Amino acid sequence: MWPSLRPAILLLAVNFAASSHAQAPAELHFCLHGEPKTFNPLLVDDEASENIRYLTGGVLIRVNRQTQALEPGLAESWRVSPDGRQITFQLRKGIYFSDGSRFSSEDVAYTMRLLMDPQTHSATGDAFRSGSGTVVVKTPSPYIAVVTFPAPVAGMERLFDQVAILSAKSPKKEQSVLGPYYVSEYKAGSYVLLRRNPNYWRHDAQGRQLPYIDTVRLDIQRNRDIEMMRFRRGELQLVNRVDAQQFDELKKENPAAARNAGTGLDGEELWFNQAASSTLPDFKKKWFQSTDFRRAVSLAINREDLARVVFAGYATPAFGPVSPSNQFWFNAKLPAPKHDPKAALALIAGAGFQLQNGTLKDSMGNRVEFTLITNSGNAAREKMATMIQQDLSDIGISVKVVTLDFPSLIERITRTFDYDACLLGLVNTDLDPNSQMTVWLSSGENHQWNPNQQTPATAWEAEIDQLMREETSLANEKLRKAKFDRVQEIVAEQQPFIYLVNKNALSAVSAQVIGASPVALNPQTFWNIDTLRLDPTQQIGSKQ
Amino acid sequence: MIQRVFRGVSWSILAIVFACTLFAEGFTHYPYARQFRELPNAAPSTIHLLGTDDLGRDLFARVVYGTRVSLLLAPAAALLATAIAAVLGGLAGLRGGRLESLILACADLLMSLPLLFVLIALRAFLPLGISPLLSVVATFVTLGLLGWPSSLRVVCAASRNLRQSDHMLLARATGYSNTQLLFRQVIPNLRPIFLAQFWISIPLFILTEATLSMLGLGVMEPLPSWGNLLRGCEDFGAMSANPWRLVPLLLLVITVICFQLILHSSEEPA
Amino acid sequence: MFTWIVKLGRKFAMLGVLALLGALLCATMIRFAPGYGADERELDSRLSQESRDAIRSEYGATETLPHYYRRYVSGLLRGNLGTSVFLQRPVAQLLWERAPLTARTVGFGLLAAWIGSSILGLLAIRFPNAMLNYSAMALTGFLIALPAAVIALLFVFWRAPVFLGIALVTFPKLYRYQHNLLTQAQSQPFAFAARTRGVSENRILFRHVIPLVWAPVLALVGVSSSMAFGAAIPLEALSDSPGMGQLAWQAALNRDLPLLTSITLCVTVLTVGVNFLADAIGQRKSS
Repeated sequence: MWPSLRPAILLLAVNFAASSHAQAPAELHFCLHGEPKTFNPLLVDDEASENIRYLTGGVLIRVNRQTQALEPGLAESWRVSPDGRQITFQLRKGIYFSDGSRFSSEDVAYTMRLLMDPQTHSATGDAFRSGSGTVVVKTPSPYIAVVTFPAPVAGMERLFDQVAILSAKSPKKEQSVLGPYYVSEYKAGSYVLLRRNPNYWRHDAQGRQLPYIDTVRLDIQRNRDIEMMRFRRGELQLVNRVDAQQFDELKKENPAAARNAGTGLDGEELWFNQAASSTLPDFKKKWFQSTDFRRAVSLAINREDLARVVFAGYATPAFGPVSPSNQFWFNAKLPAPKHDPKAALALIAGAGFQLQNGTLKDSMGNRVEFTLITNSGNAAREKMATMIQQDLSDIGISVKVVTLDFPSLIERITRTFDYDACLLGLVNTDLDPNSQMTVWLSSGENHQWNPNQQTPATAWEAEIDQLMREETSLANEKLRKAKFDRVQEIVAEQQPFIYLVNKNALSAVSAQVIGASPVALNPQTFWNIDTLRLDPTQQIGSKQ
Repeated sequence: MIQRVFRGVSWSILAIVFACTLFAEGFTHYPYARQFRELPNAAPSTIHLLGTDDLGRDLFARVVYGTRVSLLLAPAAALLATAIAAVLGGLAGLRGGRLESLILACADLLMSLPLLFVLIALRAFLPLGISPLLSVVATFVTLGLLGWPSSLRVVCAASRNLRQSDHMLLARATGYSNTQLLFRQVIPNLRPIFLAQFWISIPLFILTEATLSMLGLGVMEPLPSWGNLLRGCEDFGAMSANPWRLVPLLLLVITVICFQLILHSSEEPA
Repeated sequence: MFTWIVKLGRKFAMLGVLALLGALLCATMIRFAPGYGADERELDSRLSQESRDAIRSEYGATETLPHYYRRYVSGLLRGNLGTSVFLQRPVAQLLWERAPLTARTVGFGLLAAWIGSSILGLLAIRFPNAMLNYSAMALTGFLIALPAAVIALLFVFWRAPVFLGIALVTFPKLYRYQHNLLTQAQSQPFAFAARTRGVSENRILFRHVIPLVWAPVLALVGVSSSMAFGAAIPLEALSDSPGMGQLAWQAALNRDLPLLTSITLCVTVLTVGVNFLADAIGQRKSS
């Protein structure tokens, strides 16, 4: 398969590959890309733990990853009160936790109390926090739970997709679950073994209890090259978030295994430091606060090239904060991003910048140069930064690219504000913009370009604040969407975040897995884990 | 006889490689940073001798300029590390006693500290705006400053042996001072050990830089170095599809072997 | 006998002091490193201010360094190494889980490297054959030039155990040292003298040359063990082998103060301990 490595293998004269042989798998095998930091579903705040929660947790309402619509889970039905503060769940009857204890509204009340306890510090719980006050859960019957929030929570039903119900009584605590699998073994740094929950409530159309697959082995594997190598060899059956270049190679080798679910939710973006408390010289602050400057930079970046070269064509130029794959919230009226260095120069000339002998100078004669920081270890981001460097040199801006390890980067963008511009991808865990409140509010901590403002620094930030506050108090989804559409328009005009590309959701699925249909939303390949099957007749590996 | 042939070949290979680094401009007419975006991952051709990398940059130009960075800075760092080890190790072995214990303890301590962490955090320590070249120099200087403890023990043990030898006794009796002893007797006598240490350190430093590059913390883009050129070797698939990408690794292997052959023949009585 | 005990006691005291010094130095280094206390989770836009503050307080960034030292040392005396910030588990438990694997890997790796390099070194000296010499040279040159990541990948590809990777990384360096020492010792006047008197080559090698290089070679034992642990870090991290090396790597990348401090403590005890042992044996041999 890899002819170029043969000489090296011969040189060392020991070929261990001979010991490898294909076996029919009794279990589904794939990788987590990091150590799961917790098995407590309420404390989940990293991808690995989130995957475990998805596989083991039972939720009241499930967001269908394919249709993006809500589906009943442990709740047969639910009703949100007109004021948007209260939700009433009608629970399914006769459901048991994996340890055999019965599921009732008590468990819902227990979970919600723990989740909303300020001492828990749960990101999932914080998403529900819209006003001060306590959350009240009433259980008029074992099958009815009524949750009342102190203030309206916009898009509340969707948030319940993240709330895995814990058992109030089970002595096994979070180990007793309602999802398709339970955690049977965990070897730190190595693997997590999941076994079929014998009491899982879902059945297929023929009345057979789900899930079909008995065990799921999740190897903890950070190295994506090794992960792909193991997939090719047939040791793994699913790979999530395949890197674009790897995907391109896989597609040539084994087109059936390479699955492209189209544009994904996550975007990559660049922003300039506009923080008032930063130590940047005044002239730099002036550049970065100038809308024309930011728009000119945006115009000078060739997003088509980024998508084609860095992502092998498996990405699309980004319009704004919402990916087109977020069917409901994407504003289809936004103008398509353009690449036009001439227009960029014209625009920037209006703001007093001059191109002299290939270098851009501001009205005071300062040379326009800045450093672009990004996190180390993300090859795609480093390549994007390098390409942006060349794009901007075409309009006379000199860019230095600096990669920093993540903690140093975070320190600079959240504490010291000692940086010019930053390239990062902020992950969207939720389709609803409400989970991004701290990004859009000027007082928010994730308002990266100028966080924690006492009062909005600009009129357009004040308008976004206003729109977001109005949006979150509305119960009508259409009206909310209209408000957030306007936010998207302002962001497109002002370019506080310069959105670059939306990556495609790429995955690899072995021919052994029946029923897989990868989607853009997480978890891409195993969102329908309970209905996946393994085909014992299929030969392992990619060479079929 | 065969030795002389090997030695000559090694010297000429190294001379060619060094000449490439010094006169890089003459060998390639492409700037190393220029992206030919229509031709990413191109195969070798008459236009691009070694093809292009994933951003469409001329790989030959990058190898030539990358050699300059690595092959000038790695030996400098190796020299620094060996010099520190020579002086400290020589002194420790020569004087013995408390001083020896102290120096050895320092070396042990330094060896046990997670130095990779220092290298990871190094770039964040430096001001953001410095040029890529300055930051790579800083990386190699740090490597040199931190890389001596492993050689120190060897040097120290050898110079301790020397201290107990007859001709040192003689030199002492003649009234040499300790400094004179160190520089006139110990260091010249331990020359083969220093040389070995020096040659071994060069590839080690190049590889440390490669490891840093693989973490994305090595030489800053767009400046090439062997380290960030080797970064591509992680991906087997890409390597087998584009075997010419292995050229930097091949070059490193050849250079290291040449260094060793020269060292080997210089230490043996001809 | 008594002086011997005093000597041993002094060595142990020294070991303890050095280990503690190493741990505290490491703590200082991390505490003042850029990015200390900055957590990836802070970029999660869902988190409330209270939760952010809670994350920040996990790092104890407000705690002064002397206070941390005191807390760490007093915890250490009670056998409590603290809790890892990154993995949210007791450090002692993490080390206990991971240590056996790495001890095995590094141990076997070193053993293989020492056996391989000694055999090759002795062969090259005993039978000074140009071909053998140059092949050894090419092999070690090739191995020295292979990046750790490539070795890790090849090993995963071949499903070979990690210890062989460590052996491959340490072997060439050990071989070079030993070969140098042996060559140097063999070209000393006494070897010539012995040869002219008709002493057999084997006898010269085993009775004269090897005893002479014994001490410097022993000095290598300590160095090679820290070299092997150094190699284990990227190898384990890249091939995701759940040992101490992987743990150290993650601790460094996540600025995990309690974890990295305790790992450094262990590594210092090992390095210094092995060196003391090597010194003790070396001194006894040479005296």
